[in-house]
Amino acid sequence: MKLQPLYDVKERLEQAAIAGTGLLAEDFRLSRAAEAMKPLAAASPVLGRIDAGLTKLLSAPAEERAGLLLDLLALVDAVAYTQGKTGAEGELVPLPAGSGQYQELTYGQLQPLLTALTSTGGGRMEVIQSAWNNHPEFFTDYRVLPAVVAGLGDSYGELAELNVSILKEVGPIVLPLLKEDFDPAGKKAMARRVELISALEGAEATPWLREMLPQAKRDVRAAVIRALGADSGDASLLLDLAKSERGDSRDAALEALAKQDGPEVVTFWEKELAKNSQSVKFLEPSNADWAIKLVTSGLERRLEKFLGGGERPTYEEGADITTWCWTLGHKDSPAMLDFWRWADSHMEELDRIMDEKDRPSFFGVKLTDKLLDIMRHTGPGPLRDFCLNLFDRHPAMTRYLHVSFLAALLSWPAAEVYEKYSPYILTKKPLLDKERKETLNNVLLRALNDVYWNNSQGRHVVVAGQPAAESLDSRWIERLVHAACKPDSGKYYPFSGGDPVNGFDKNLAELANPADPEQCALLVPYLRERMVETGSWYSYGQYLLRFGGSPGGVLGKAMQKSKDARLYYVWVLLNEASKSLPTGEVADLCQEALDSQRFRPTGNELFLAKKVLPWTIEQLWAGKTFPKWDEWWNMRP
Amino acid sequence: MELTEQFILLQAPNPAAAENGRKLSKKGSFSALSRTADGTLYWAECAGSGKTPYRVSLDWTDPGAPVCRCTCPSRQFPCKHALGLMFEQLEGKDFAAAEIPPELAEKRAKQAARAAKREAEEGRPAKPKKENAAARKKKLARQLEGLDMAEKLVNDLLASGVGALSGGSAQTYDKLAKDLGSSYLTGLQSAFTRIALAVRTAQKTPDRADEACRQALRTLIYLHSAIQKSRAFLQGKLEAENFSAEDTILFETLGGVWKLEELHAIRAFRENARLVQLSFDVSCDEARKEYVERGWWLDLDTGRIDQTLNLRPVRALKYVKGDDSRFGLVEIPVLYTYPGEGNCRIRWEGGASRPLTAEERAALPGLARPNLTAAVKAAKNQLKNTLLPKFLAVLVPVGRLGKVGDAFVLEDPFGDRIVLRDREEDGADHASTGRLALLPGEIPTGSALFGLMYYCEEDRSICLHPYSVVTPDRIIRLQY
Repeated sequence: MKLQPLYDVKERLEQAAIAGTGLLAEDFRLSRAAEAMKPLAAASPVLGRIDAGLTKLLSAPAEERAGLLLDLLALVDAVAYTQGKTGAEGELVPLPAGSGQYQELTYGQLQPLLTALTSTGGGRMEVIQSAWNNHPEFFTDYRVLPAVVAGLGDSYGELAELNVSILKEVGPIVLPLLKEDFDPAGKKAMARRVELISALEGAEATPWLREMLPQAKRDVRAAVIRALGADSGDASLLLDLAKSERGDSRDAALEALAKQDGPEVVTFWEKELAKNSQSVKFLEPSNADWAIKLVTSGLERRLEKFLGGGERPTYEEGADITTWCWTLGHKDSPAMLDFWRWADSHMEELDRIMDEKDRPSFFGVKLTDKLLDIMRHTGPGPLRDFCLNLFDRHPAMTRYLHVSFLAALLSWPAAEVYEKYSPYILTKKPLLDKERKETLNNVLLRALNDVYWNNSQGRHVVVAGQPAAESLDSRWIERLVHAACKPDSGKYYPFSGGDPVNGFDKNLAELANPADPEQCALLVPYLRERMVETGSWYSYGQYLLRFGGSPGGVLGKAMQKSKDARLYYVWVLLNEASKSLPTGEVADLCQEALDSQRFRPTGNELFLAKKVLPWTIEQLWAGKTFPKWDEWWNMRP
Repeated sequence: MELTEQFILLQAPNPAAAENGRKLSKKGSFSALSRTADGTLYWAECAGSGKTPYRVSLDWTDPGAPVCRCTCPSRQFPCKHALGLMFEQLEGKDFAAAEIPPELAEKRAKQAARAAKREAEEGRPAKPKKENAAARKKKLARQLEGLDMAEKLVNDLLASGVGALSGGSAQTYDKLAKDLGSSYLTGLQSAFTRIALAVRTAQKTPDRADEACRQALRTLIYLHSAIQKSRAFLQGKLEAENFSAEDTILFETLGGVWKLEELHAIRAFRENARLVQLSFDVSCDEARKEYVERGWWLDLDTGRIDQTLNLRPVRALKYVKGDDSRFGLVEIPVLYTYPGEGNCRIRWEGGASRPLTAEERAALPGLARPNLTAAVKAAKNQLKNTLLPKFLAVLVPVGRLGKVGDAFVLEDPFGDRIVLRDREEDGADHASTGRLALLPGEIPTGSALFGLMYYCEEDRSICLHPYSVVTPDRIIRLQY
């Protein structure tokens, strides 16, 4: 049966309801639809009822029309529902098996994560990061994976990068999703997909990358070309691309070619560097012997030009040499040793190179810094051995002390390092050879800045992550608290606000092991003294508590010396103290702070301090716990 | 009862509390882990922001409802420390057997005394409640007056035309809705609030005015039908002087709220039920200003699919515990079923969860409707009823799942087909059809598909919005 007249009636009735029953009499379209319905009326009783209802509606007085119209609409709807068709004609293509796994995740676990991945606005990073840290298995769920893939295009770049790192960890199960609906002409999200596919598949991605390359545009094209570098078989294609591409895509081709090998590649780079000296930056990550040879020989050639002092580098030449120095990257192959030996043999001359405006070019310093950086990242081997003896071989080159000291710390027993290097820390102002001794003192202090106590690892670690061969000898702390020459090394706020400490004290506190009673015993008196000297009661107070000491007896004096205190910081310090000190001592600290009278007068802080501190002392003596900040704050007038 | 992660999550007042508890356990904040020799009481100390650690305990005298105690000042119950201690237990940490601390023993004794008192009171015959017939009669009369007022409003609205909505004031409808609330017609009040919302939509986004008008028209059809049926129902009650709640959907349509004892009185309950949750979702009912947390449950003994509804008013969100997805089988001593048709609302108190056995899992797809034809017929019957939801939750057997063109299609073992499509009214956060293409692995034969069957105006067809795939091995949820 053809039901179109029924649907026409339904539509007209709905329109009548929208237009208002007042206009029903003039609705000729409804009358026409009602007429068309009449032949159907005989087909079934229910259609007959609709027809009768229409007749009644069209002839009803105005006050009855609304009810009749709604009754009729309900009936027509009901008939339409019962006539609803099902099915779908055509070939049924089975669904492919998807990637990912099914995890039994509750709404409470899944919904916040999916919302964070698919919505916009603040707070999402924390949700995703926290889920990733605590439940990495959530990210293999088949409902989560597509959301993470979609998140590669998140407008918040940091979040998109987090998604990249998550998917790299999730592994190859994500590959089908990354390749599905891939748009080679797309934007950043698609470029990130390429980066991921390359990271997950390596050289195996080549056929897919080659397939995508012809249609790839802009960001995606550069990403595809960059990814081709992972396959050693792509050299000839990349050489062609380096000729044909422009802009970012050409840079990507150079980046990819830096990972290739073979005589053709080397010849290409020789020509490229001769033509575009700045292209050397693409060789920065390469540790291949040919790249090292090209970079070091090119750098030597550029520096040798100015060694005699006859010729002076222009600004552009200086910038060019700086780029070549930077390109040394973290190249730690033994092949580099020849270059460092060459640099060492010419270090005085390098230091003498002046630019066209008669200013030092600092090429020697830049190279030493680079050597130090590489050594900090390199494990035991010939390079570290070379560094170990550097200062002994050239004692005049004071900055070598930094390099040799760190190399020793990474290689030797703690006592040996202390005995050899501690004398450079001056405990008395020198009378003879003052300048050199002070310089060496400062260089060694700077080197010690690169060392810190890593609580989670339970050992001393050098910046960049390598652990010291043995934890620092405790005698260093004693030596340092008695140091006589402390260069001005800036102000720091190590406790998120509060008051400043100088660089020397901050580094000393970071160097000491809070779990070592000997080091704590050496440090606490020093910190108490410094607290009074500087008036930085908050920061030194925190340090004292960290090393098992107490600011008792010096807190008031320090507060007297400092500017007016903010009550909140006083609460933070006292609350921290309450976790480790006996109740009596905490009460005494409250009294000391109160007696100092140094609270900000603004915002009634002084008034509040006079109210909360005596109250807190009472609470503590009554055996109560140290109050929450809210309790103090709620006592304000 | 075996302690599971899901059990802990269900005890938590919100997901964040559970997560914070887990973090406390992970970072080793608990110390002095102790338990009684019989394993009914666990206690420990937990480092907090203060100097003194919190003393936290779990009393497992009733394994299904642990009593959590903590000295922390948190108003959340249970607090993160108690939840953290549960995680410690779940992790199998070493709890030393010890004597119960005196303060806990005292609290335990008080608790036992209270339970005994309650038990004794339950044994006594309940005092017959006095029925204030005059007040009930007055209420019925007031409701009938309210129905007249509602009918007049519907007629007026239709006389001027639903299209004129956007020109009117939403506040007018809000006020009318409020008046209906004063006439004890809170169910109809929500319908008028929906009309007010449609007015606001039409005013704020003129390009969605047509859609708002259609929505308002659906509400008006519902209102008209509800008014007619309710009037007959209330008049009948008034004439018969019967003022008790009755086994009819109209009670809730008018705004009535069932209490368990009322459901018991009309014998709307069943003992020893076994349920498995097929799906869970949350939506926001803007008209009622509340979150609706809905669980779809399959009754292993009857094959019925019913729903739990946890309604959390937006204003009291913090104070009403949220519900969550549940896996495994729940054994329920007394299952209450609200009057209604199709997928009824169900409630219970004190059910116990356990994992499904392999046999029980394998039997689940067998509880599906025999074929698509039967399911479609049942759905059409429900859709015709103006007072019932415009969908029916069904479990249908799967022959093949696939695509015809761009459409996802289910074919039952007899070759009948239905298009699988998301129900637009449910919003983008309920979209799940596309996930069928992402399902890990193949769907084994003998599986079933759970979803909402509805009428799609767009192509005048009956479609299925898939929610879960029930295989003989597991339930794969497309939503939550």
